[in-house]
Amino acid sequence: MLRFAARPLARRFRSGYRWVDERAGTTDLVHKGLYEAVPDRGAWAYTLGSATLILIVLQFFTGIFLLLTYVPSFSSAWDSLRFLQTSDRFGNWVRGMHLWSAYVLILVIGLHMLRTFLSASYKRPRELNWVSGGMLFFLVLGLAITGAMLPMDNAGYWTTVVVTNIPHYLPFIGDPIRTLWRGGDFVGPITLTRTFAIHIWVLPFLLLALIGAHLYLLRRHGEFGAWVNYSTTTDDPDREIAERIRRAEPPYPTLRIERQYAAPRKTVDFFPNQLFKDTVVSIVLVAIIFVFGFIAGAPLDARADPATLTYVPTPEWFYLPLDQLLVLTPQTYLIAFGVFLLIGLGSLALILLPFYDRSPARRPLSRPEVLVPGLFLAFMVVILAVLGVNRLYGL
Amino acid sequence: MAGAEVLQLTRRQMVQLTGLGAAAIGLMLSIPAIGFLLSPLVQKTRETWVRVGAVPDLTVDQPKPVTVKVPSGEAYDTTPVDRIAYLVRKSDGATLVLTNTCSHMQCDVHFDPTLQQFLCPCHGGLYDVHGNNIGGPPPSPLPQWVHRFEQDSQTGQTILFIKNAYDESI
Repeated sequence: MLRFAARPLARRFRSGYRWVDERAGTTDLVHKGLYEAVPDRGAWAYTLGSATLILIVLQFFTGIFLLLTYVPSFSSAWDSLRFLQTSDRFGNWVRGMHLWSAYVLILVIGLHMLRTFLSASYKRPRELNWVSGGMLFFLVLGLAITGAMLPMDNAGYWTTVVVTNIPHYLPFIGDPIRTLWRGGDFVGPITLTRTFAIHIWVLPFLLLALIGAHLYLLRRHGEFGAWVNYSTTTDDPDREIAERIRRAEPPYPTLRIERQYAAPRKTVDFFPNQLFKDTVVSIVLVAIIFVFGFIAGAPLDARADPATLTYVPTPEWFYLPLDQLLVLTPQTYLIAFGVFLLIGLGSLALILLPFYDRSPARRPLSRPEVLVPGLFLAFMVVILAVLGVNRLYGL
Repeated sequence: MAGAEVLQLTRRQMVQLTGLGAAAIGLMLSIPAIGFLLSPLVQKTRETWVRVGAVPDLTVDQPKPVTVKVPSGEAYDTTPVDRIAYLVRKSDGATLVLTNTCSHMQCDVHFDPTLQQFLCPCHGGLYDVHGNNIGGPPPSPLPQWVHRFEQDSQTGQTILFIKNAYDESI
């Protein structure tokens, strides 16, 4: 101990690190993380995954801080946020960042999915990456909508009323689901407590578990995409592929399907090339959230008023297409059909994409059988959104 | 000596025993938890009558909103909150006591005097002055508050009482 204390500071740190490294294998871990071969091409598009992760971490961080003041109580929730708004400038900033990073997260996760869809990265053996990613997308949407209910201002209250009423149109099990979510026949104090529990425990717990699976699968199959992804250029494809794999690290896929192979033409190490780009994108996004969280903040309407004759509830922008679908499907059986069948089948088709798009083709234009329905679906969502904007705000 | 070896269990028996043990733990944890989760299905709303007061003068087919403090009765919540009752005098002399809860997604509707219709701001539901759904997505008429009228013997006024419950489930 005395000998350790007598050493110069730098050497003490070094030997201290060696002590930790010997026991925890930190250097190994850092090397595994940093020196992974990643494709050189499309590197900026590949930053979206890490940006999603950073934004989710930011959500956890700001969300935990909001718990320092927010009270999940029907009578006090609004007051606690009103207090932030009037008397706690930094608390209000944190709330603004929580909201804006949710908005940015939904956009970025959508772009991440779009990129994966266009580059067909979900093909064998990475089907489960897509499945877990799709589930993560729906979890984030669930977190967003439950989060919108919590402030118990007019916006939150009417969001709660409408969203918890949607299951009512499911045959047989609909009303029990509505009652269980609300903790009664109508929205009441237990509705908020249950939604709060779902928002801060149930969904984040599932989210973390799926993020773990998503990242594990990513590392297991590498950054190279599907087995069928890459073609060779020389006359001797076996030698070319062998060379590529020698430079990359195992266990990247090496199976050959016809004359196409798994490795990209050119790879670079994750550190520093990709890490630099990831960092730039994340800094820009966090800076946007930092600024918007302060300037725009998070809105807080008047206290929830179940007797209002003037308030016009408007959905959060990311639920506008769904809200418009509710307008367009009048009468009970059509609601059941429009909302549940359409949304259910659409979501299922999205999650199960890798199981029906199994051809080796990778380019978007050579996969018209998924590109056309995908574009059609996106087009419908945009149309619904435009109709919704027109209805609520009058274009 | 380890327990399994003392008991002379085969590996198969050991796996079966562990499975049984896990099932027993799962059962003990899930009975109270699932019961707790499902309890709102069997709980009753506490229904109470509220005295609204004397029925005001009404013009035929001109809905008039009255704000009433009504306890919600859900769970432990007994705080009276403001709710709306639309009183509508029909041409046959009967009085409707409509809620302003849209039968579509339970938003608050309001009466528009120029259109002579109830409008729902959420998804554009329309009701006529008697609360019948006539346009947009609502699947059924506006529910009424469960109500009764009493004649005040001293003043001769008609007193309206409503219960914190709807006459139709929506």
